[in-house]
Amino acid sequence: MAAASRGGGGGPKALELLRALPRVSLVNLRPNPGAKKSERRRGRGRHGGKKSGRGHKGQRQRGNRPRLGFEGGQTPFYLIIPKYGYNEGHSHRRQYHPLSLQKLQYLIDLGRVDPTQPIDLTQLTNARGVTIQPLKRDYGVQLVEKGADNFSAKVNIEVQMASELAIAAIEKNGGVITTGFYDPRSLEILCKPIPFFLRGQPIPKRMLPPEDLVRYYTDAKNRGYLANPSNIPEARLELAKKYGYVLPDISKDELFQMLSTRKDPRQIFFGLAPGWVVNMSEKKILKPTDERLLRYYSS
Amino acid sequence: MAAPMRRAWQGLLRAAVPAARSYHALPPRRKPGGVYRPDPDDPLTPVWQLQPAYEAKLYGRHGSASGVDPARLWPGPEKLQELEAEEREWFPGLREMEAALDKKEQEEERQRVEREKLIAANMAKMPQMIEDWRREKAARKEKEREDKARRAKLLAEAQERFGHKVDHRSAKFQELVQEMEKKQRKELKLKKKQLKEEAKKIAAAAADPEPVPVSAEAAEPA
Repeated sequence: MAAASRGGGGGPKALELLRALPRVSLVNLRPNPGAKKSERRRGRGRHGGKKSGRGHKGQRQRGNRPRLGFEGGQTPFYLIIPKYGYNEGHSHRRQYHPLSLQKLQYLIDLGRVDPTQPIDLTQLTNARGVTIQPLKRDYGVQLVEKGADNFSAKVNIEVQMASELAIAAIEKNGGVITTGFYDPRSLEILCKPIPFFLRGQPIPKRMLPPEDLVRYYTDAKNRGYLANPSNIPEARLELAKKYGYVLPDISKDELFQMLSTRKDPRQIFFGLAPGWVVNMSEKKILKPTDERLLRYYSS
Repeated sequence: MAAPMRRAWQGLLRAAVPAARSYHALPPRRKPGGVYRPDPDDPLTPVWQLQPAYEAKLYGRHGSASGVDPARLWPGPEKLQELEAEEREWFPGLREMEAALDKKEQEEERQRVEREKLIAANMAKMPQMIEDWRREKAARKEKEREDKARRAKLLAEAQERFGHKVDHRSAKFQELVQEMEKKQRKELKLKKKQLKEEAKKIAAAAADPEPVPVSAEAAEPA
């Protein structure tokens, strides 16, 4: 068959050959070249008469070890401990790495994160501030309160979850915070943009959060990215009142442009829309023009 | 022969170039120039290199030098339809999810209110139930006490009759009890008869054959 396909254009010749050759059957089938590797045979030739790499005596050498967890007849540990549903579904739970305000301040102070640009997971992972492994059920970072008293940077940050005090600490300094959800695929792309761009694929659109997170991300109190934008100033004021600080007016800030930058709910990167292809080698961005594609990526 | 010569050479080399090492890195691999394109006719080409993802990868790596048509980077019409169908099936919109959540919350609220109502209704019944239970308990105790007294009385009677203490489970005592009960029943019957006769007499004396008061008077002692 291979010969026929390699010949190319030898139609009648191949047919003739096919007729002359025996039929494909169990007798003449064999594995593909390179598919099989001959097993290593221990203790043969001049290596005979010794232990063949299995050590000295016992279950180790004879390969009759008891099953895992067996304790020689005594009721094993895994049967002694009663099971109860505390850990039920632990392998499906979403994990959010903590990012403390202290660590964020540290990253900014060392110049590893640039506070004059909007900060999202790309900046944080690039600064080696956090390590996100979407394949291990990581869904991003949560901003925690540690170091809230000493936090003094003005940032526009996007995290996946944030505590109330952390939000207050950011906003007290004239910063802006948004909480946004990334599905695992988008998260992988967000955390490792260059390997993704080298794949030459169009940037996908970000998926909506699962149903149990919808309430969190539509709540202005959590500064959710799906919340009504007109409710957010109100929530900011309310939080300022609660924690007793004066909310700086960011509209008069020199960095207002940066501070008011927000991603679209379907957008993964700042400044890049879903459906675009980024080519690193030519430093080019390709945008689709087909209407159906545009409709799909904008929905 | 060769080894001493080599050693001598190495010594010379070391003397000449002090930083020289015995280790030599592999020479740089000579790759064929240009972009690798998998040959679809070669049966040894891995299958994954013949798929569109690999083409896209080549484009991502080398740009237009890869010779890949950039239009093929996006999904074709059929693939797009598939994607859309998948999204429709598996990814509900935000409004739909919110509606489902609203419904769920309303249902939970309704169940909670129902439960609270039931609890309130039962709690309202509580004082009456406690009162009933207390009364029942008192009645039960009273009855127990009476029973006890009766038994004690019977036992005392039996003792009087037989001249010694009797066990309440013994056949002798049981016989005695039955006998006394019989006697009591007889007395009761007699009493009834007498009462009836008296009533008749009164009725005759009054010469007023009204059945109602008679029956009422007769019913009272029964």
